[in-house]
Amino acid sequence: MVNIREADVSNYKVCVIGGWCGNRMVIVAEHLEELFSKAGLPCRVTTHSVWENYSQPPMANLILQLLPAFTAAETNCPVITIKPLLVDLDHPATIEKVLKQVQADYGM
Amino acid sequence: MSSRIYLDYCATTPVHLRVREKMSQALDVDFGNPSSMHWAGKDSKQLMAQARADVAEGIGCRPDEIIFTSGATEADNLALFGTLRLYQPNEAHLITSSIEHHAILHTAAHLEREGYSVTHLPVDENGLVNPEDVRQAIRPETKLISIMYVNNEVGSIQPIAEIGRIAREHNIRFHTDAVQAMSLFDVNVDDLNVDMLSLSAHKIYGPKGIGALYVRAGLELSPMLVGGPQEHSLRAGTENVPGIVGLGAAMGLVCQHRADERVRLLRLRKYLVNGLQSIGPAVIVNGLEEKTASHILSISFVGVDAEMMLIRLNGEGFAVSLGSACNSKSIEPSHVLSAMKLTQEQIESTLRISLGMTTTQEELDLVIGAVVRVLPRVGVH
Repeated sequence: MVNIREADVSNYKVCVIGGWCGNRMVIVAEHLEELFSKAGLPCRVTTHSVWENYSQPPMANLILQLLPAFTAAETNCPVITIKPLLVDLDHPATIEKVLKQVQADYGM
Repeated sequence: MSSRIYLDYCATTPVHLRVREKMSQALDVDFGNPSSMHWAGKDSKQLMAQARADVAEGIGCRPDEIIFTSGATEADNLALFGTLRLYQPNEAHLITSSIEHHAILHTAAHLEREGYSVTHLPVDENGLVNPEDVRQAIRPETKLISIMYVNNEVGSIQPIAEIGRIAREHNIRFHTDAVQAMSLFDVNVDDLNVDMLSLSAHKIYGPKGIGALYVRAGLELSPMLVGGPQEHSLRAGTENVPGIVGLGAAMGLVCQHRADERVRLLRLRKYLVNGLQSIGPAVIVNGLEEKTASHILSISFVGVDAEMMLIRLNGEGFAVSLGSACNSKSIEPSHVLSAMKLTQEQIESTLRISLGMTTTQEELDLVIGAVVRVLPRVGVH
């Protein structure tokens, strides 16, 4: 896992994990990227479909999954379930949890 | 992926060798346009006539009561649009159920937008329509009742003959989508009291792109496709002869085997249910066993994310399906499971496993083993 405090913050990588519903995964990722930017936490947000590949978790500083694909032990980085965003892109409790984790990693 | 085991026969079935052989005659030898006056047309027309007779025999009707279509979706569209559009919107009312296939539900929604009125009947917790609800929903302007025979997601078997009797008493046209019933049930249009019936080839070991609508003799329909005089001018366009021949052959095949298959698949389904339920108490079978088709199993693994489970099962070579679908805006829970009032959690944990002619007990042992392996990895965290 990359120590974000020592690294260039723009290298902080968040990966949104989705399944069959690829469109939704992309929509969630774009929404989160915008939200991070507004919060002064510029992150690179990528996507990974477990429909394409479920055996290898992606390399990232934080994994946000729309379905229970990987455990923290498998990914070597924090893993947060963001399934509520499937229904509500601004689901308050989920967004708060995600922001807290990113802020913690940023050392804010 | 190790071996590949197909357990999604409700989605589609492989084309049977016997069907393929018959189709190859229409593709390679008798390729003519059935409307042509020469020998090639005549030979092709003969093949089509035989297929029409085979399909008719399979459901107990006359050959001239069969209208070939591109599949059951078109047949459903023709039944609904074709009937309702004979009337002005304020003169016609449709009764259907809340668990129909989208080929019916979306057609009904389209008719509603045109000004026609539609009643969607509820179902009980087992996915069954109450015939008394049908009776209560009838209005003076009701022109059509459309209730599916076997539900494609949970396998619930609707009381079609009883609903048909009610429709007859009120002189209302009755249509059933019998797509999922054809492979295992004795379908006879007179016994079922139906006036129109939709069927599809690719659910009964035939090819995709061909289906049929049975239309009782004497009933008028408004055409959907206009052009040539094919299919009593109800479905213009040069006929899909290889497909039609395939449908006829597939119908012959299932009629020959369905009684034995019904018994065999019932035994296999019970075996599968026992095997899966032995995993733990959080495994729930949806629907009433005695009112469910023996090739369909809708099963909820409470506390499990069904999509992830499907992905992992797929990774091990098993093809099963999911109860929900996604669009760009959200994940849509299954309208059938929602109508049965399953909880959101249960809907999201539901898989459909459907069995067919090539399913064996050994395959079911393998899928049970795979579920045992996969379950601990797919819990909702």
